[in-house]
Amino acid sequence: MSGPALRAVGLTKRYGRTTALDDLSLDVPVGEVFGFLGPNGAGKSTTIRLLLGFARPTAGRAEVFGVDASDVARAHRLLAHVPADVALWPKLTGAEVLHLLAATGAGTDTARRDELVERFGLDPSKPARTYSSGNRQKVALVAAFASRAPLLVLDEPTSGLDPLVEREFRRAVVEAREQGRTVFLCSHQLAEVEAVCDRVGILRAGRLVEVAGVPELRRLHRSEVTVTFTGEPPRLEAVPGVEGVESTGEGRLRFSLTGSPGPVLGQLAAAGVTALSVREPRLEEVFLDHYGEGAVR
Amino acid sequence: MSTRTSPAPARVPDVPAVPAAAPGTGRAVGRLALRQVRRGGLATLLVAVALTATVAASFDALAADPATLAGLLAVAQNPAVRTLFGEPVALETAGGFTVWRSGTPVAVLVGAWAALATTRTTRGEEEAGRWNLLLAGPVRLRTAVGRQLLAVAAVVTATGAALAAALVLAGTPTGGAAVHGAGIAALGLFSAAVAALAAQVLGTRSAATGAAVAALGAGLLTRSVADGVPGWQGLRWASPFGLLGLSRPYAQDRVLPVLLLLAAAAALAAVALVLAGRRDVGSGLLARPAHRRARTALLGSVGGFAVRRALRPVAGWSTGIGAYYLLIGTTAVALTEFLAQDAAVSDLAGQAGFAALDSVRGFTATVFSLLPVPVGVFAAVRIAALVAAESDRRLALPAAGPVGRLRLLGTEAAVTAAGVLTLLSVAAFATWCGTAAGGGLPLADALRGTWSTAPVALLCLGAAVLAAGWLPSATALVGSLPAVGGFLLQILADSTGAPAWVREVSPFAHLALVPLEPAGTAAALVMTLVAVLLAVVGAAGYRRRDLLC
Repeated sequence: MSGPALRAVGLTKRYGRTTALDDLSLDVPVGEVFGFLGPNGAGKSTTIRLLLGFARPTAGRAEVFGVDASDVARAHRLLAHVPADVALWPKLTGAEVLHLLAATGAGTDTARRDELVERFGLDPSKPARTYSSGNRQKVALVAAFASRAPLLVLDEPTSGLDPLVEREFRRAVVEAREQGRTVFLCSHQLAEVEAVCDRVGILRAGRLVEVAGVPELRRLHRSEVTVTFTGEPPRLEAVPGVEGVESTGEGRLRFSLTGSPGPVLGQLAAAGVTALSVREPRLEEVFLDHYGEGAVR
Repeated sequence: MSTRTSPAPARVPDVPAVPAAAPGTGRAVGRLALRQVRRGGLATLLVAVALTATVAASFDALAADPATLAGLLAVAQNPAVRTLFGEPVALETAGGFTVWRSGTPVAVLVGAWAALATTRTTRGEEEAGRWNLLLAGPVRLRTAVGRQLLAVAAVVTATGAALAAALVLAGTPTGGAAVHGAGIAALGLFSAAVAALAAQVLGTRSAATGAAVAALGAGLLTRSVADGVPGWQGLRWASPFGLLGLSRPYAQDRVLPVLLLLAAAAALAAVALVLAGRRDVGSGLLARPAHRRARTALLGSVGGFAVRRALRPVAGWSTGIGAYYLLIGTTAVALTEFLAQDAAVSDLAGQAGFAALDSVRGFTATVFSLLPVPVGVFAAVRIAALVAAESDRRLALPAAGPVGRLRLLGTEAAVTAAGVLTLLSVAAFATWCGTAAGGGLPLADALRGTWSTAPVALLCLGAAVLAAGWLPSATALVGSLPAVGGFLLQILADSTGAPAWVREVSPFAHLALVPLEPAGTAAALVMTLVAVLLAVVGAAGYRRRDLLC
């Protein structure tokens, strides 16, 4: 199959005067695990609703393996979905829901489904009414990972899961990638995105503000640099990309660096540096750079 | 090797004193409760008052002709008519006539609303998880249930008072008006208490609603049997509707039956509140098994799943409709024999608006023409259930499968249409069983009769699909409009002598009395066509709008 697994071209959704998603253009190539980040209300769920054809775009279009997203009867043969807040028919047991979704979905590997039920620790004999939100989420996750769909669209899939199940989830994502499947993962769990995603897109107020590979993204953002030196303290304040210089003891400095390290190294050369350490930012710090401390609580 | 040092003793915070409950917490819950019932409650009140006032206003025209009145009095004494309308009391007065003619429908309306509103706002809210937040505050489960019950009680009490006021304004004596209004209010309170009790015992809204409605239906049937079968009058004391009849407004104005009904309501409500204090939030007293084997029948396709979800509702509605038409069947023979014996009485009955009642065919045809009301509401409620699954996100997972929007809605509509035909057939079969003893009505005629009303029920289905596409929040209301609105319009038009075109707006005006008359093919075709048109426009809307999930 040529072309991307997911494509959005000028995708826009307005509700009255509110623009929930503004001109999103994005390609997710086949086989990639793509993380989609943004604070509450940034438009992540709107994007997913548009990708699934649940909502109609005000402008632009979305495609799943080249099929228009609004042609759900065809596009949905190629994807499986885990909603953010899973609701199930209360009288059906977990096993019955899985049976229904296998019969009406994009095709299911039943042996894999049984294995996933074990791994996620789901008791499928209970009526959905008695499930906690985490257990409802497990039902949807088992159905999605056991499906043969080449694309998985996951909206906050681990928000109600305990750490053990979350670990299984990460394994399942890695396995899906090994099978050549594409994963579109919306998440607030930045450590999880960092651990499993190849590329990340960051959404703010309906606009895509950054798309990059995870290592690249870290490089582009503030690294924390610590230097130990014997000579005169280097004068760093005026060096472009340097911020927050502070002394952490005799002959020690710490500062943050954005962009190329060349100019800083030039300044440091004169100071008789004896040790230098550079710590790349965690994704959380990248995220906070975009939104400020108020965005993540 | 390291020595372990104990951490410096942290200051242990004092256990805070429990603050006094904020004043007005209960009242805030009460206001919330009232908000949840005020709209439906107001609509019920207005319909009840409009129906009563219209019937009262039509009495003068009826009384102006002594022959018509005499015919009515003769017909009303018949056991079969008593079965349907209750015991005739003081029919020669405007008040007595109004109570006889409108009392049962109004009682059913108010009772059904009270029961449905109570299970919706108690068990329904709890089931949806909304009470978890409420009950995490300083509000006990018992308080929450009690306040909801009070809100419903306030509405039905207001309805009773408004009815009494309307009857006084219509010029009927105050005593009778007060007894009738109090009786209707007491019946509403009783229904709410039964529903509240069911909501404590049973763990789901649908089960609690089913149990409450079944209890009220059994009460109505008991009243019918007690009024129709000689020697069984004593049974009236065992039915809330029977007690309402025993109060005999405008004749004896008896207060005791109303007080009994109130006492029963109070006792049931008290039991419900005690049970509310003894159970876990989110579950009923009757625990259900936590595990069961998977039953995968009818879970293999979208269509199968639609059938599976429809089975229980169809069974429930079939039970109610079947019981009613079985009763109609059994009384049909007795009634028509009585009318056929006496040509003079039969003529008088015709003048009193009971034409064509002197044969089993005519009688059943007349009663079959009521059938689209429940069947149409069934159709509307089923489509509304699909919209509910959409708005509470249950539909998100199935809709993420390769199932087009049109197939989703079309399957539901097709299964609902099959349900409509099933209910119509059940009514025909039950009537046939009922008349079998007297050998009155062939099954084929009964089927022709009930199926001839299908276009009105299909109009409801079409209107519901239209609303699902364009105004999903009003699906049940818009879908019920052709049946309930059309029926009320016809009654109002008949009673007020409105111009013919007003009556013609109602789909009921275009139903022939089948099997007495041949079915009106043209009218049936036009109505079916309109239904299809509504559905097509609705489907177009459903295709282009955003899903609610």
